[in-house]
Amino acid sequence: MHEMSLMSEIIEIVSADAAARGFKKVNRIEVIVGDLSNVLPDALELAFLFFQRQEGGMIDGDSTLHIIREEAKAQCSACQFEFQPDYRIALCPICGSPGSLLVSGETFRVESYEGSDEDNES
Amino acid sequence: MRTMKVKLGTDVLKDNNLAAAYNRKLFRANKTLVINIMSSPGAGKTTLLEETIKALRQDFTVAVIEGDLATDRDAERLRSLGIKTIQINTVGGCHLDARMIAKTLPEFELEAIDILFIENIGNLVCPSGYDLGQDSKVVVLSVPEGNDKIPKYPVMFRRTDLTVINKIDLLPYVPFSVEEAKQDLESINPAAQLKVLSAKTGEGLDDWINWIKDAYVQCIKR
Repeated sequence: MHEMSLMSEIIEIVSADAAARGFKKVNRIEVIVGDLSNVLPDALELAFLFFQRQEGGMIDGDSTLHIIREEAKAQCSACQFEFQPDYRIALCPICGSPGSLLVSGETFRVESYEGSDEDNES
Repeated sequence: MRTMKVKLGTDVLKDNNLAAAYNRKLFRANKTLVINIMSSPGAGKTTLLEETIKALRQDFTVAVIEGDLATDRDAERLRSLGIKTIQINTVGGCHLDARMIAKTLPEFELEAIDILFIENIGNLVCPSGYDLGQDSKVVVLSVPEGNDKIPKYPVMFRRTDLTVINKIDLLPYVPFSVEEAKQDLESINPAAQLKVLSAKTGEGLDDWINWIKDAYVQCIKR
């Protein structure tokens, strides 16, 4: 996808909240990435390395990014069977009905962060 | 030193979703039907739009937002049909987002526009994730690409309301199974509609045009 700009959105969301709470530094960011969100965790991590090297922000070399993968799960609307879909997201592997709905896997969310009100040097 | 964990639960695309909601409100207030058209590069989005506009322009006021990385060649093609077209160049950006659309809207007289087409960047990955405020999302798949594009890009085909199979005049020359495409689409997105056509020869175009006209009737009823 375009994980650099997505990482930039994540940092903005976290930094705005952290600044409003009077934090000086963000130690850790927790992000949930669904398997069907079209977002690549590896590319997000690479983008995070770039932001760690930026001066003047709340992220530095000690800050960490924690990515929680959310598995794709679907539930058949005919027989209620819950399954991990392959590309045939809507097709129930038990009864063959094509009416399954995704229960999870599309999430792309900043779950939480840890802030502190002094940076490491002080 | 105070260290604290803060729970956010914020959608990473929340700013895009806010801009999309703003666009949608404007489109609805002006009773403008908005169709977001996506595909891989070269599937024939602009040719389909040209033929669609020719079929609609007597009865509807149509406008277009054209997305491309560079050049306004596509916009020029549509302007030559007498259609108000705004070109967005993303200069490397792989998709249109709702903020880009919002920025172009002051250039349109929306209350006078019945149907606004948004031609997205040619890409089957990123555009699927961005709500632009449209009424319908359409994905165009062309016959020379092969019908396995559908299982290869399930997220795109899952998130669209209608799939157009274009360039069916090439079916005798390249391996493409419309039947397999139908089955794959049904197993990914059973609610999706399918239109099979050739923008070049006009075969099947009526069915697609009627779908747009029906969508317009739904739009002005709201």
